[in-house]
Amino acid sequence: MGIKKDMTRIYVIDNGGQWTHREWRTLRYLNVDTKIIPNTASYSQLAQENLDGLVLSGGAPRVGIQDQLGNCAEFLKNANIPILGICAGHQFMARFFNGTAAPSKTPEFGRVTLYLLNSSDPLFQQVPQESIVWESHHDEVTNLPPAFIHLAKSTDCFIQAMRHQTKPYYGLQFHPEVEHTEFGEQIFKNFVHICSNYTK
Amino acid sequence: MFRPEDFIADTIANLKKTIPEKALIAFSGGVDSTVSAALVQKAIADNLIAVHVDTGYMRKNESKFVIKTMEELGLNYRFIDARNDFYQALEGISEPEQKRKIIGEKFIHIFENVADQENIQCLIQGTIAPDWIESGDALRAVIKSHHNVGGLPEIMKLKLVEPLRDLYKDEVRKVGRILNLSIAERQPFPGPGLAIRIIGEATPKRTELVREACDIVETEIEKAVNDGKMGRPWQYFAVLIPIKTVGVQGDQRAYGYTIAIRAVQSIDAMTCAFSTIPHQILDKISTKITNKMGAHINRIVYDITNKPPGTVEWE
Repeated sequence: MGIKKDMTRIYVIDNGGQWTHREWRTLRYLNVDTKIIPNTASYSQLAQENLDGLVLSGGAPRVGIQDQLGNCAEFLKNANIPILGICAGHQFMARFFNGTAAPSKTPEFGRVTLYLLNSSDPLFQQVPQESIVWESHHDEVTNLPPAFIHLAKSTDCFIQAMRHQTKPYYGLQFHPEVEHTEFGEQIFKNFVHICSNYTK
Repeated sequence: MFRPEDFIADTIANLKKTIPEKALIAFSGGVDSTVSAALVQKAIADNLIAVHVDTGYMRKNESKFVIKTMEELGLNYRFIDARNDFYQALEGISEPEQKRKIIGEKFIHIFENVADQENIQCLIQGTIAPDWIESGDALRAVIKSHHNVGGLPEIMKLKLVEPLRDLYKDEVRKVGRILNLSIAERQPFPGPGLAIRIIGEATPKRTELVREACDIVETEIEKAVNDGKMGRPWQYFAVLIPIKTVGVQGDQRAYGYTIAIRAVQSIDAMTCAFSTIPHQILDKISTKITNKMGAHINRIVYDITNKPPGTVEWE
């Protein structure tokens, strides 16, 4: 356990997405102590901050399936706190844990229906089985990593959400941080709850 | 949550520290620049000079409205008529990014001139989060260069201060309401103005057409909102598409441009859904535009694209 603090502290790792700053805003609205950090920051820098959780943002096409996303691999390897990968962050998480990610057969932009496969998961508390989410992706996770559980799908993209079996790591292809995702704020609230209750 | 009262107090305190005596504000009369001006005025009072530029790409009666706003706020202001300058600079230019960059550069040039004359070292801009996010940086792709970001020279002579940089439009409105600004509820209008609501070259003639069409769309939608026939969209306007199609008007062949009606629902412009305008209202707008401008416009279409994949403005 680290030093006691009043607020949950979750930083956003910036992979260059259009909505990185929206993730920061959503966390701030939930009274989270948050900051945007470039993905080139070192793990040792972050380790000193006594964080409760991390969000890996999205980024430009192909960065999630080709790039190293700065030091994201280091964070996934060493952090003992909950991590939420969004879009490119989700695709990179899948690759890091030996799944695969590739260009989508049908890229999705804007309004899409999300179908939960496991609504009892802590990340999807109070989110209905079917809801509207907003998408913006050219690439997707094509094979679930061996240690992961498949949590949600859409008509054109099978792996919309996943979770590590033992670590508090989540990946989402859709964007919970934007206004038009119906239960986006609830999903963030759930993630904050996961972070503040996690015993390091 | 976002607490506008705290934001106002913190910002005024910061501005007092960061502004070196006098400052100039790029004042379009929209929500962002008006809220910024009100905040800076509270920090440095009469040491603020507002500069409004009529680019020629403003909406109908806009400049009159802006002068009224500046006077109501008691701002020390300069009004610059640069219509011919902007029209000339955009002659033969049809690529949207080039248009935006030229407009941004023209603006900064004008502000630097005024600053020189008035011996001012500091430029205030009403830049908000989507402006710099969409303009791109080392990590982020360029979606579109916002005029207040993409036109800035690499080496700025003026010190740049942007008090609303981390805010989105809904938050700026909240600040505006606390400051009792009537413009707080105004719909957004892009800095490059009507120049980016004309696909292709933004000639003075085409500008007149899109200005009139925008006015009809605004008037009819506001009337419908006031009559309780629909909710107020976040933003609503017309776009001129200089593609000619065939029509028939009074037993005669017509061959004119196309106008697209665009209306979206959003809170922050980062994602948008197209608005569902009732068909009777669309019908009214369509008939009004073609009756008034039939010699030039004989087809009206309605844009049903969300963001993503589209953006609010077409360029």
